[in-house]
Formats: sequence, C-alpha cells, structure tokens
Amino acid sequence: MINILTGIDSTSAALNAERIRMDVVSQNIANVNTSRGPDGKPYQRQQVVFESVLKDQVELGATPGSAAHLVRASRVESALRPPRLVHQPGHPDADADGMVAMPNINIHEEMIDLMAASRAYEANLSVVKTARGMAQQTLSIGKR
Amino acid sequence: MNALSALRSLAYPALRADPLKAATEAAGPKSIPFTELEKLSPGLLAQPADAARPAGASFENTIKNFVEETNGKQAVANDSVKNLVSGQNVSLHQTMIAMEEASISFQLMVEVRNKLLESYQELMRMQV
Repeated sequence: MINILTGIDSTSAALNAERIRMDVVSQNIANVNTSRGPDGKPYQRQQVVFESVLKDQVELGATPGSAAHLVRASRVESALRPPRLVHQPGHPDADADGMVAMPNINIHEEMIDLMAASRAYEANLSVVKTARGMAQQTLSIGKR
Repeated sequence: MNALSALRSLAYPALRADPLKAATEAAGPKSIPFTELEKLSPGLLAQPADAARPAGASFENTIKNFVEETNGKQAVANDSVKNLVSGQNVSLHQTMIAMEEASISFQLMVEVRNKLLESYQELMRMQV
C-alpha cells in the first residue's frame, strides 16, 4: 500500500476524538437546566477522557511495530461536583425548603470547552491541509 | 600486445614491466567475491545477467499493481462517500481524507504516465 499522506492516521483519530468531546460539551449545554434525569436525579456534567493508543492495537491489519500514537476518547465520566441549588418554591422537583437541585454545569466553562474543542479540531485540520500541500508540491518536482 | 593495452601501459608506467600480473595483484586482494557482497547487503547489488528474474517483479507488473492500487483508493473514497450520504457510521473527516488520498494518488499516477510518455517520445525523436 502506498502511503500518500503519511501520519494522517493519528490526525484522523484526533479529529474523531475532538468530535466526541464536542458532542459531550453540546450535551452538557443542552442539559444545563435539566433537574430530573432518567434516574430521578439532576443531570450530571459529563467530561471526556482522552487516551493514547498504539496503532497496531487498534487495527488488526496495521504493520506490527508501526508505533504511531493515536488518540481516542476512552471514556465519558460524570463530574463529581455537588449540584447547584436554586430557590424556586413552585417547582415540581423542589424540596421542603423550596430548593431545586440543578445540574452541576457552569455554562461559561462549557463555552470555553467548546472553543477549546473547536480550536483543537482546527489545528488537526490544518495538519491535514499541510500534508496535502506537501504531497502536491512534491508531485511538482521536475516540472518546468 | 594489442593497441589498448599498449595505451594503458603508457598511461601507467608502473604497470609496464608486466601489465597483466601487476593488474591482478593490485586488484586481487581487494576484490571481494560477489557472493560475499550479496550476503552483506541482500538485494542491493545488481543480480548477474543470467539470474532468473522472478515473474512478479517485472516493470509491467509494477506499473499494473500501481494502477490497481490507485483504483483501489478511488474505490475506498467512493465507498466512504456512499456510506456517509446513506447515514452509515462514517465521519465527515474520514471521507474527506479518503477523497484527498484518492486525488493525490491519481495525480501521482498521471505524473508517472507523463514521465513514461515523455521518455518514449524522446526515444522516438532520436536520430538514427
């Protein structure tokens, strides 16, 4: 197999991982006011954990010893912060004191995460762009 | 003594006494048999002319494999576009990267074809 765009595998994996991170952030933003989840408790902030894997662990067909480090979103975990308590006496989920437990999500934090994910995605895209540019410039060797 | 060896003995006065003997002595201890060299760097040295050439390694087959591989990359790109637009589990960037790879390997194939054609035309223009 000719390898046209070398090193593109780890970039592709990183794009995938950043995409997952963005999905998780959008889920957090969407649920910022969800006071009751399927388990009856308020929604908990989810965060994604990245881990690096070797390429030949992921693909069976990969050449053994090709030590390309790929990244993948290994798991999505709940944040352990306590819920936000809001005083809202008429709310169906309010307790005896009229306090409603809201998700432990800080919207500003989520916006920052969104920007970070988008920038990281952009950085990986520019790696792809540069690799393509290099290949095309190489193909023009010897042209008049 | 023919004309050529006479010329050589003119050029190298030291060899004049006994050109053949001196030449073999100079070259003898330094030269390594071909088999030894081949053991050190297998495949690097040119095979002797009479060695049977393996059938799979001809230039024609190389080109054929190359064209087939380019075609394979086009097929991969085609498949991933098809999977993307029909809602399969293929991400946008994977499709774009597959298309980009297909495009660049096609460009490479066109370049190789241009070079081959150019050398053919150069040969046809040769005055005999």
